[in-house]
Amino acid sequence: MTKTIFIDAKYSEEIGLTNEVLNYLKSNNIKSVSLFASVQFLNLETIKKQLKSEKISIKTTKAKRTNKEIQVLGCNVYEDSFKTNIIKNSDAILYIGDGLFHPKAILISQINTQNKKKIIQFNPVSKQFRIINEEFIETEEKRIQANLRKFINSNKIGIIVSTKPGQNFMNLSLKLKEDLEKKGKKVFIFVSDTIDLNDLENFSFIESWVNSACPRIAIDNLTNKKIINIKEAFNPTKFISN
Amino acid sequence: MYNLELDKIVKEIKKLKAKRVLIQLPDGLKPNAEQIVDYIQKSTNSKVQVFVWLGTCFGGCDIPSNLNIINIDLIVQFGHNKFDKESW
Repeated sequence: MTKTIFIDAKYSEEIGLTNEVLNYLKSNNIKSVSLFASVQFLNLETIKKQLKSEKISIKTTKAKRTNKEIQVLGCNVYEDSFKTNIIKNSDAILYIGDGLFHPKAILISQINTQNKKKIIQFNPVSKQFRIINEEFIETEEKRIQANLRKFINSNKIGIIVSTKPGQNFMNLSLKLKEDLEKKGKKVFIFVSDTIDLNDLENFSFIESWVNSACPRIAIDNLTNKKIINIKEAFNPTKFISN
Repeated sequence: MYNLELDKIVKEIKKLKAKRVLIQLPDGLKPNAEQIVDYIQKSTNSKVQVFVWLGTCFGGCDIPSNLNIINIDLIVQFGHNKFDKESW
């Protein structure tokens, strides 16, 4: 039996907001923030103190599949990915970490929300900050909508199942297959470990694909493949915006 | 800059009496593989075989499977913490 341990590789230096960030919060009249971070940067005592002294209230929650409050994962892409909907009741989101992968998830989780909150990203290593707003996910939004419409009108569907234990949803995929077959569609299940969307090319008889593994595979899709995520596939019309 | 907790890994190896260890690193930490392998080998008098996963390390959801074929006793995944998969 193989045992697995995780080394979360915590950032070992103090994490504090720069004056530039604090000034931005003040000058934009931000009175409350939803605070998120990636696992390396969860030691946020200094930042909490800084926000408190600026009288900015801090809202935190536990995201699905994490095991720490504040931590966010790239797969937290739905409104119900968070234990409580703190974003709705905050002026903005403060994200501590680098890259775009995690903050994009927080933006995408608001895709069906009217009043989307922007993200103030502070990178504790480079000390730089930037604003990430809806413009960063415009392409993804359009693609998700187009692929949902295509899916509804497709008759031959391929469901992709990953054998990675953390991403394996075979039972759910079989349930979807049954559901779609009842609607008269022809459904095939495809199995792989790491999913490379270029591999879909060879199965040209499939009109639309459903991804049951990590939701980012369909969302960050850089190909022109017609692919949606399994959560949407059960009730696609619910996710189509007018 | 990032705490790799190498002592903790060696402790776990000794506790498990692991003979074969696989380390898995996200892209940003892959350049540290040399340092990690060297440290583990030195601290265990080279009695442990340390392998490096060549492939992806997207998250706690992405643990290599089918490792029985090479008898891995311990996988050490860096850069993430425990992933609580939903049961649906």
